[in-house]
Amino acid sequence: MSNNLPAPLPGQSDVVVQVEGLSKKYGDNVAVNGISFSLTKGEVFAFLGPNGAGKTTTVEILECLRNPTGGRALVLGYDVSKRSDQAEIRKRIGVLPQDFNAIDRLTVRENIDYFGAMFKRQLDADKLIELVDLKDKRDEQFKKLSGGLKQRVGLAVSLVNDPDVVFLDEPTTGLDPRARRDVWGVIERLKGQGKTVFLTTHYMDEAEYLADIVSIIDHGQIIASGTPDQLIDTHGGKKTLIIRDAGQEGISQLPPGLSKAELRNAGDIAIPLNNGELTNILMSLAQTPLHDKEIEVRRPTLDDVFLNLTGRRVSEEGD
Amino acid sequence: MRSRIYTIISGHFKSWYRSKSNIFWTIAFPLLLIVLFGAIFGSGSTKFDLYIQNQDLNGNVPTPLSQGYVSVLNQTGAFNLHMVAAEQPDPLTFVKNDAQLHNRGQRLLVVPLGFNATVMSGNNATIQLFMDQSDQASASLRGIVNSVTVSYAATIAGARDNLVVQQVGIVTRNIRYIDFFIPGVIGMTLLTTGVFGAVNTNGRYRELKIIKKLATTPLSKIEWILGMVGYQMILATISLVVILFFGYAIFGVTVTIDIYTVGLVVAAALLFPGIGMVLANFVREAESADAAANAITFPMMFLAGTFWPRETLPDIMKIIANFMPLTYVNDGLRDALIYAQPAQALTNTIIALGLAAFFIVLGSLLMNWKEE
Repeated sequence: MSNNLPAPLPGQSDVVVQVEGLSKKYGDNVAVNGISFSLTKGEVFAFLGPNGAGKTTTVEILECLRNPTGGRALVLGYDVSKRSDQAEIRKRIGVLPQDFNAIDRLTVRENIDYFGAMFKRQLDADKLIELVDLKDKRDEQFKKLSGGLKQRVGLAVSLVNDPDVVFLDEPTTGLDPRARRDVWGVIERLKGQGKTVFLTTHYMDEAEYLADIVSIIDHGQIIASGTPDQLIDTHGGKKTLIIRDAGQEGISQLPPGLSKAELRNAGDIAIPLNNGELTNILMSLAQTPLHDKEIEVRRPTLDDVFLNLTGRRVSEEGD
Repeated sequence: MRSRIYTIISGHFKSWYRSKSNIFWTIAFPLLLIVLFGAIFGSGSTKFDLYIQNQDLNGNVPTPLSQGYVSVLNQTGAFNLHMVAAEQPDPLTFVKNDAQLHNRGQRLLVVPLGFNATVMSGNNATIQLFMDQSDQASASLRGIVNSVTVSYAATIAGARDNLVVQQVGIVTRNIRYIDFFIPGVIGMTLLTTGVFGAVNTNGRYRELKIIKKLATTPLSKIEWILGMVGYQMILATISLVVILFFGYAIFGVTVTIDIYTVGLVVAAALLFPGIGMVLANFVREAESADAAANAITFPMMFLAGTFWPRETLPDIMKIIANFMPLTYVNDGLRDALIYAQPAQALTNTIIALGLAAFFIVLGSLLMNWKEE
């Protein structure tokens, strides 16, 4: 067990979460394998990885739901492995478990009050309802809400004790695109209020859109960390020029020297771009029959980062 | 801590009364059973049960006057007469046992040896009517027997005033089927609400991640369990009050509520949720836990003396019933509420409380509050 952490006094540091060499084993199965990272106050931190990568295990160690088998983790300066510290952590954190549902037959307002009553420090339920934009559904029973609205209740419930850090475990899994956007809106508002958010997700776009810092985890190990831009710049690969609907014929019409061009499924031609090449390629394309095709430049995404780092794309399977 | 437990209780209670099916199974279903079983097995006849021992035999044949008297009683149509053999040495004990077995009133009329000869000789013959003064049928039955006796005497030449009915008070407890059934229904309701309530809150709440969420708050496992037990006690009390009130209003079932009743309700509110918690922890998926709860509660309901006395079961079933916690709750409730037998009620209450302590502690130990 590593004890190299400088232990900040509880509440006296901007470091909200500090993890060093953290491991969790179940028999021979290593779910989390010696990971280290830290999260500072006011940050939105995304823990990104496919299902089964170790995200939930890690977040549940930080929430004091599981005990680590190695390494050390401090939340707000308190040690997650110490029983006395766990009580302090529970008072100060907000948690939205993966696939959380509130109590079916209680209304939105009653659910917020219910979970609020577990804490000494409680926020005003109406203000939370306003924050998650559920004013019209205040007195509606939870079971009658749609998936997206239910998740917003979950967010309100996770904020009810005005936590110093909020853990959101896969908050948009299973939601339709619009409901996902609504949840993102709430998380953006939290960010605007300066809340520290620890987010786990397997959606690359979600991490890219919301996070200040992203750590990519795969097979229990962190394989890259940084801002989304840093990760894309470092591991995302080249920008790509796309010529829409050019087809096989388009390949033969390409000007010479574009040997790395490839035809993709939808009939698009993709040409990897080196720095400074774009203008020259566009000028030479203007001389070919492809000049009237739709052309765009695609920036690499975190999906490409993951692909380049692991050789595969993130899928929803595998848990 | 108090506010957290109160919140858990109030959350469960709101969820309960907002569910029509919960209300049905906790309140309407037991009442429906009472009405159905009361109608099927209750006293369908308005005739009075009356045991008769005619001791006045000549050889093996009843004497003419004693036989005539019994016939006249029978012809009134007011009685279901049940004959007790003349050689029965202790007719009262016989009647007591036989009446309980067949769910009849305990009333015995004895036509004495020498009845015929006494009347014929112009002397007074005394017929004894053994009956409990508190028997609701007492006044009407005595009235009918008296008038039949007077009319019968009038038909015998010279015996107009020679027949006397002497009423002898006995202490009986006429237990009707419905009196027996009401405590059984209470036991059954406590069983089902307790087991299914715990399976639901600990199985389904686990699936919905509500327990996981609560485990990340300052709420402790013991507070959660206390909240659940508190809620079960409220439900148990509501069931008890509603069923007893209904039994009184519809069937005139009167009960004695004493410290044992309270003890048994407390025991049931710990015991059955405790069993439910044990189930929910062995069978983690909520739907399977529900099936397991059915598999546990149904045999208990039928074998532990809810619907009919355990004495009527085959011997092997009687032995199995001895291992069923509901047996002690049902017996205890009957001893306390109906039979007014404090000593037996105490024994059953102690056994129920012991089982309650065992299951609630086992359920609590097995329950995973954290995710390990």
